[in-house]
Amino acid sequence: MSFVLEFENVTKEYRSFASKRRLRALDSFSLAVEAGEIFGFLGPNGAGKSTAIHLAMGFMQPTSGNGRLLGESFGDPGARRRVGFLAESVALYHRRAERLVRFYGALNGMGGTQLDKRAREVLEIVGLQDHANRNAGKFSRGMLQRVGLAQAMVNDPELLILDEPTSALDPLARVMVRELLIGARNAGKTIFLSSHLLSEVELICDRVAMLHRGKLARLGRTTDLLQAGGRTEIIVRAIAPSHFEGAAARDGIVSFSVPTHGQRAALEKVWNLGGEVVSVNPVRRSLEEIFLEVTAEPLSPLSKGVQ
Amino acid sequence: MKPVLLIAINFAREQRWPILTLLLWVLLLAFLGLVTDIHREREDLLFVFKQDAVYVLAFSVFFGGSAIYNERRSRRILGVLSKAVGRQQYLSGLVLGVTIACAVYCFALGMTGSWTLGSASFPISHVWFLMVCLLAACALAGTVALMFSTFLNPFFAAGATAIVLGFPALAGHLLGPRWGLVIPVWELGATVINSSFDSPGSASWLVVGLAGAETVAFWLLSARIFAYVDIAVAVE
Repeated sequence: MSFVLEFENVTKEYRSFASKRRLRALDSFSLAVEAGEIFGFLGPNGAGKSTAIHLAMGFMQPTSGNGRLLGESFGDPGARRRVGFLAESVALYHRRAERLVRFYGALNGMGGTQLDKRAREVLEIVGLQDHANRNAGKFSRGMLQRVGLAQAMVNDPELLILDEPTSALDPLARVMVRELLIGARNAGKTIFLSSHLLSEVELICDRVAMLHRGKLARLGRTTDLLQAGGRTEIIVRAIAPSHFEGAAARDGIVSFSVPTHGQRAALEKVWNLGGEVVSVNPVRRSLEEIFLEVTAEPLSPLSKGVQ
Repeated sequence: MKPVLLIAINFAREQRWPILTLLLWVLLLAFLGLVTDIHREREDLLFVFKQDAVYVLAFSVFFGGSAIYNERRSRRILGVLSKAVGRQQYLSGLVLGVTIACAVYCFALGMTGSWTLGSASFPISHVWFLMVCLLAACALAGTVALMFSTFLNPFFAAGATAIVLGFPALAGHLLGPRWGLVIPVWELGATVINSSFDSPGSASWLVVGLAGAETVAFWLLSARIFAYVDIAVAVE
């Protein structure tokens, strides 16, 4: 299995020069992102998501541990040539959108007609083709985010690292970005997506990691995490709801959930009572529920010591 | 080399308003050249010329001392360093950018000085020699300021730069003129300031070369320090 992004036991501490206080933003963090997947990177504010991304991009040095980006150590400019990055708060120079995208492309070694063509292409992809000659300084936050996406894609990167790419976008633009990311994955690209929009992550991410207070709290395939409740919902008719604990009845339809390992016994009981089974489905949780569960977990003793 | 040039040109472009404001002083010199009797007021013209020269030296410290801070505070630095740009290349771009910004000014001042002072029988070749001295001093002062700005905010970086650049001047005054060559910004600046119609500049090309070599040394030192700086950390 090839990994495009790997964190190996990475710890990052911020030290305050004046008070000598230490804040551990990442704590023995390990993670591996596989090629060709959309990887969701979740966590509450201050969990360490942006720190992890900035470490991967080489904007800062880990206190301990190390990592690799496209097979090279963090901070290697050669590896960054194959990466597209969009920061959480997009900050761009005030110049015409097309020139701006060309500037960032040129920094990646692109040039000539190839760059001109690609700049126009990516602006069209993000729906800014009609604003290509407008100064980005006059753009709305949503438009800036779209130019940010365009500059991230201008070099046709193998890996896209996106920190909150849709936070300022309207629903229509979000759908556009979602389709764009799915299209990129289908084209063999890898996307590392940090987002607070859990419904979006649920829709498009193949795998998800949840970070809480600098530690990896959950990691797995999105489908597995959503079905990991260990319960099954059974919907039946022609029986009284009183036979099953917590059952709800509506228009003659009775629904209840049981632990997955007890579903067989529950179904036999329904049949013995003369009931008819309508459906049996694993209970799906939402990422939001898992997110709330993770953030409610207490601090580990190690984290407490340094916060 | 291409990213370095792109960053340098971009930096100079971002500083266009301070440069244009600064160029107003050159315009003043040109205006004086137009409305005054050049031969009779030549000492006044030379004074304005020297004044304009001192301004760009101060601005070079301002350009160098605030470059990284402004880029970090606006977070634009993340966009640039997320590309295939090494930190050393980034700093090289800034050093070159500061030099280009000062060169634009020095060129304009040299052109105006050639016309006004040249008309008042100041040797034109010396005007351009003074501009070379001034540009070398600006490049060195800007690079020293840039080095301090890798870990200090602009206010402290400017202060630290003033101390470092002022020390050789003080030592030169107290211990002997050779000390003035340690970091020859003052030496080069003094060449411009002390120039007169009778003695139009006395520094040697060796001092200019020394300033160039020290610019490279401070640039390398800056790059060494900057390699360990966490640039994504808030700077406020």
